[in-house]
Amino acid sequence: MELTKNITLGVYLPGNTLIHTLDPRTKIVATALLITLLLFIKSYLAYVLFLILIIAILIIATIPPGYAFCGLKPMLPILLLMWIFQLFLYSTPGATVIFSWWIFSATDAGLHMGNLISMRVLFLFTVTTILTLTTSIVSLTDGLESLLNPLKKIGLPTQELVMTMIIALRFVLILAEELDKIIKAQMARGVAFDRGNFIQKTRNLFPVFLPLFINAFKRAEELIVAMEARSYSGGKGRTKMKTLHMGRLDLLAGLFMLLFSVLVVYLILTIPPAI
Amino acid sequence: MNPLIEVANLSYSYRAGSGNEVAALKDITMKVFEGELLAITGRNGSGKSTLARHFNCLLTPVSGSVEVDGLSVSDKCNVASIRRQVGMVFQNPDNQLVSSIVEEDIAFGPENLGLPAEEIRRRVDWALKTLNLKNLQYESLNQLSEGQKQLVAIAGVLAMKPRCIVLDEPTAHLDPRSRREVIKNALRLNREEGITIVLLTHFMEEVTHCDRMIVMDMGEIKMEGSPREVFDSEEKIINLGLDFPVSAKLAEGLRKQGIRIPRKTINAEELIKSLCQLK
Amino acid sequence: MPIEVNNLSYSYKKGTPFEKQVLSNINLKINDGEFVGIIGPTQAGKTTLAQHFNALLVPDQGRVIVNGVDLAEKKADLVKLRHNVGYVFQNPDYQLFEPTVGEDIAFGPRNQNLPPKEIENRVLEAMAQVGLDYDTFNKRDIFALSGGQKRRAAIAGVLACKPQIMILDDVTAGLDPGGRKEIINVIKKLHHEQEITTIYISNSMDEIAALAERIIVLNQGQVLFDDQTGEVFLHARKLIDIGLELPEVMNITTRLIEAGFNLPGAILSIDQAVHAIAASLQKGQVDA
Ligand SMILES: Nc1ncnc2c1ncn2[C@@H]1O[C@H](COP(=O)(O)OP(=O)(O)OP(=O)(O)O)[C@@H](O)[C@H]1O
Ligand SMILES: Nc1ncnc2c1ncn2[C@@H]1O[C@H](COP(=O)(O)OP(=O)(O)OP(=O)(O)O)[C@@H](O)[C@H]1O
Ligand SMILES: [Mg+2]
Ligand SMILES: [Mg+2]
Repeated sequence: MELTKNITLGVYLPGNTLIHTLDPRTKIVATALLITLLLFIKSYLAYVLFLILIIAILIIATIPPGYAFCGLKPMLPILLLMWIFQLFLYSTPGATVIFSWWIFSATDAGLHMGNLISMRVLFLFTVTTILTLTTSIVSLTDGLESLLNPLKKIGLPTQELVMTMIIALRFVLILAEELDKIIKAQMARGVAFDRGNFIQKTRNLFPVFLPLFINAFKRAEELIVAMEARSYSGGKGRTKMKTLHMGRLDLLAGLFMLLFSVLVVYLILTIPPAI
Repeated sequence: MNPLIEVANLSYSYRAGSGNEVAALKDITMKVFEGELLAITGRNGSGKSTLARHFNCLLTPVSGSVEVDGLSVSDKCNVASIRRQVGMVFQNPDNQLVSSIVEEDIAFGPENLGLPAEEIRRRVDWALKTLNLKNLQYESLNQLSEGQKQLVAIAGVLAMKPRCIVLDEPTAHLDPRSRREVIKNALRLNREEGITIVLLTHFMEEVTHCDRMIVMDMGEIKMEGSPREVFDSEEKIINLGLDFPVSAKLAEGLRKQGIRIPRKTINAEELIKSLCQLK
Repeated sequence: MPIEVNNLSYSYKKGTPFEKQVLSNINLKINDGEFVGIIGPTQAGKTTLAQHFNALLVPDQGRVIVNGVDLAEKKADLVKLRHNVGYVFQNPDYQLFEPTVGEDIAFGPRNQNLPPKEIENRVLEAMAQVGLDYDTFNKRDIFALSGGQKRRAAIAGVLACKPQIMILDDVTAGLDPGGRKEIINVIKKLHHEQEITTIYISNSMDEIAALAERIIVLNQGQVLFDDQTGEVFLHARKLIDIGLELPEVMNITTRLIEAGFNLPGAILSIDQAVHAIAASLQKGQVDA
């Protein structure tokens, strides 16, 4: 039983590649840009471009693609459900019916919508995962803080905001670890998670959730106490050991992202959407 | 020696005011002196961790007072400067490491103090060197052994240059070598860097290295003195749920056999020396 | 219920960049009614090995056979197995999950579908065995416990299941010396009176020397020694090399031997040491 194995969001995979050494701000802005583009594209061709880009990044960062995508595994059932919903419920006037069953009928518009939305979720997830896989928590914090700095002037508590985001990100991992532990602890005392049919297994999961959240909050709380004991007070008056530094590589990466975006925007504007 | 931490008539209850209040500390009065190595020991639930958490404002007294270098822990304004002086290392290293890389984690404390970048760098390097962690500087924390993680946690506190470090059962989960390593380093920080150390422990062998010890029970201080004095009062030690160091037990056994080993023998060196003289 | 391990290998996070081989090619057999100690430096794989004995982990390679049944087989009744093989986790935080101490201890017996009266009795008995006062702690929130109290609650949770095999993973860490003695006495008594097979993982060489009949030494995922307790501690050099040490009594007697005392090589208890030293001194006086 190892649930944490398939969790990739929030995990950092240390390395020394081009992608790892980029300034965190470059990576954050690039990720934000990609996310924005993803929200607008509606053609399969654009997704193909995205796929090529992502695979290229994975290769440069020496992240085994199999690993980057295995984080998607736990989401597949939900995605499938979403896809089915879109398939049967979404329709546009004039769409052709592919097949129908009882009171449900699936149209080609529904099919495309299902495909596009599923791909959107998959890509959003993968892009964010790549960011955390190649950026350590501290540089992520530093980068975000520095980017949000202008907002501080208008009185937004940016450092607290960033810290909350970081803890939320770590929370995913903490939750998975706690889930692993509780399932192991309950198995050791006679609950069968690894035996029985789907319904039995699902029923066995219910008594896990309450302690799961209590424990995970407890862990997060302990982390915060430990941070406070080391004089952390919401980031007020905090300084940094390593100052951020943009180099030529960042410039190149930025230019490349710009080109890519122009290409995608061009596609969005010229190719008629699939639906 | 002048006191660094002064505790006067301190009482503390968890969930004070609710129906199921737990009185954890009852009218404690004690001092931690500058530069000493103080051990606090006592039964499970006797209040050691609760007491120690008052030393750097993680808890504040329900009644009585705790002062660090003259500053009251009950006053919110003092929190920052007290935490600067008293560092705390917890039992479980996993819950206190914030970052994913060794040097980044050690830098976390000094960064919170708002020091300039060069000074942070200097302190991190110094802490790495002092605890012989130089070769782990860029390691990822989840690649380290428990003992190494515990040393990183201590380094993280050390880099804040506190006057006092509180170690709450730092060796409970370690293998023998790591345990020795952690204690050796605590002793060295005390002797060479002059840092006051408060060590909470259940290992009597560790207690014998300390200058002074406090034994707690049921939220009260039951005994206080040098380990040699404290281990001399036989029944009390057993009644308080403690034990004797192996050397002391061996010495006692030999005395019962009519072999003349001086009383108050508490460590291996003394015992071996006495035995060699008898040979 | 003998445990047999054949050519066991295991890696965590298999198939990811974090893959890490922790056990390689382990072979061993634990017979009914044995008291086996497992020692080894940190990260040696002790916990990982022990979690194979009740199928919390499943081998990548090799087999774990308990009571003649290969645990990897689909038809193996793992629920029954885990009722019979009690496992106390190394970290009590990993084990306690019910809201209160009493409910947590009752969890195992309840899963065995025992009648409520029996469950109640088991909880009472287990709490007494580990020295937790029933009235004070039965309704206590598991987070409102000191470190050592959590440990006691965790042990009680497994004692209440009344298993035939007990796996204890460093369970005395964090206990006060008095508590250590009490818990060890309970474990010893169960072993002697009910012939419970006991697998005792520990970082305390003193405890292992006093308790185990046989010791398995793990190092870097492999079995380094598997022998009678007295024999294993004769390999002082090797043990110290890998990060272990001798029991404190033996530390002293070894140094005495170096100082010219005539003592046996393996001394595992204080009584033994007292008599050997006394004998050596008397003989010395006669010689002189
Ligand atoms: N969060 C809490 N809520 C309520 N009671 C608590 C809480 N934490 C500890 N206690 C109780 O307070 C008392 C003192 O606990 P403390 O943790 O200080 O003991 P300790 O001496 O450190 O013990 P140990 O050696 O087991 O670590 C105990 O009786 C414990 O049950
Ligand atoms: N859930 C896990 N995921 C990944 N790696 C793990 C996991 N649990 C343990 N490991 C790794 O497996 C190795 C062996 O760990 P294990 O806990 O079995 O050692 P141990 O001998 O019990 O050590 P200790 O004395 O510290 O308890 C370690 O390197 C550890 O980092
Ligand atoms: Mg404590
Ligand atoms: Mg272990």
